[in-house]
Amino acid sequence: MGDLLTVWPAEVSASTSRSASMRHVLTDPQKARHEDFKAFVALNVEPFARQWDREQRIPDPVISLMAKSGYLGGGLPPHFGGQGWDIVTFGLLNEALGRGSSALTGVLTVQAMVSMVLLKWGTKEQKEKWLPPLARGEMIGAFALTEPGAGSDIQSLATGLTPEGDHFVLNGSKQWISCAQIAAVFLVFGKLGRSPVACLVPRDSPGLRVEPIDDLMGFRAAGLAQLHFQDVEVPSANLIGKPGFALSHVAPVGLHYGRISTACSALGLLRGCFEESLAHAAMRRIGDKTVGDMGMIRSLIARMGTDLEAGSLLCHSACRAEDDHLPEAFEKTLMAKYFTSRAAVKAASAAVQIRGAAGCHGSSPVSRYYRDAKIMEIIEGTTQVHEDILGKIFVDQAGGLGR
Amino acid sequence: MNTDVEVVIKETVRRFILSSIAIAKLDDDDDLFESGIVNSLFAVQLMTYIEKTFAIEVGMDDLDIENFKSLNATTAFVLKKNGRRNG
Repeated sequence: MGDLLTVWPAEVSASTSRSASMRHVLTDPQKARHEDFKAFVALNVEPFARQWDREQRIPDPVISLMAKSGYLGGGLPPHFGGQGWDIVTFGLLNEALGRGSSALTGVLTVQAMVSMVLLKWGTKEQKEKWLPPLARGEMIGAFALTEPGAGSDIQSLATGLTPEGDHFVLNGSKQWISCAQIAAVFLVFGKLGRSPVACLVPRDSPGLRVEPIDDLMGFRAAGLAQLHFQDVEVPSANLIGKPGFALSHVAPVGLHYGRISTACSALGLLRGCFEESLAHAAMRRIGDKTVGDMGMIRSLIARMGTDLEAGSLLCHSACRAEDDHLPEAFEKTLMAKYFTSRAAVKAASAAVQIRGAAGCHGSSPVSRYYRDAKIMEIIEGTTQVHEDILGKIFVDQAGGLGR
Repeated sequence: MNTDVEVVIKETVRRFILSSIAIAKLDDDDDLFESGIVNSLFAVQLMTYIEKTFAIEVGMDDLDIENFKSLNATTAFVLKKNGRRNG
């Protein structure tokens, strides 16, 4: 096998990569942090991910460890208690965790979605109240957008707020809310009359019922739940942004960070498939040859390795654009998430195929990768929604350039 | 009366919109939202472009359709934000 040019992650692993010729795109602190993240995952995540998947929950001490390590507020400014990491570093953290457990990375995803919305659209008082506990990981936030009747068609929100005195009354339901089982606060989207609004709802609000969703195909430990709001009182001070802007300006910020997180998490899963497949191909013997000597296996590995390289470049490009605060960060992130989630599905399927029967058993991480990867194609916008949006962007841009 | 700064801001934003959205032309008072020119993704892209290009930050208090509904409105908004910062 020839040299593998891997820009991000910095290298596949000491044993599987002969070259890290493009590592220069990462700064030294980014490289060092990525090594720390991978060491954290090797020690605290990979050995336990199967158990969490089987038990459909992530133990509280693991969340506490993530918090203590600063991971749950990595992208938030230090004056709110965060680490002040750039988005490339945030992406590297998601990549490293994605190698170990997609479900655990889901905690990072929703925490970032809620935190970054507050950082962008919160008032001074809201930021001072909510961001420090989120940054320190003392509080997990969940992003409550999807409803039983409003998934990809998010304009159809039925959850409603009505004004009553100095507060609002919230009624409705939310579906498929990641980490809702462990969240202490929900960023809920609904409508005030015809105006979309966003508001923070603490978990202990009277009238809020959290109904766990079990038996998912993948992301089994991500603590999904349904939320039921019955006459829940929401203080006016908990409205985020102004009525009318929740779907045009507030939700897109959260979804954008959700896509960055998911794109990089899928990249980590893809790396996991690649590494597991290479290890098996090198070790497993068939007669006097290894599995890796077989041409058809090499084909599968070639596709995985090339997708890993391409996905690394797309993720890095998206994160850099976000760090530079460029408007194209949004479409670059859509492309990265679109590409890596689909590549992860293909890689996981190939990884199971290479492993054979053993790949179909829970003792091999590739069986979990196979189930988790498919979820990546659905969360934060399905593959088809991404194609619709990206197709329109490309057509529009071509029209604009043609004039 | 248009100042040079106003013209530069307006033409800069017009170029960005025309390079991103498939419309033949954009007049100064065309309503970006009511006409359906702007979807939610482009709304945040436009906001990010304005923030980056004119070194301003759009915050919660600025979420007003009057600030973004047209080229004229956006230009006035940028001038107001810059004036506030410089003043």
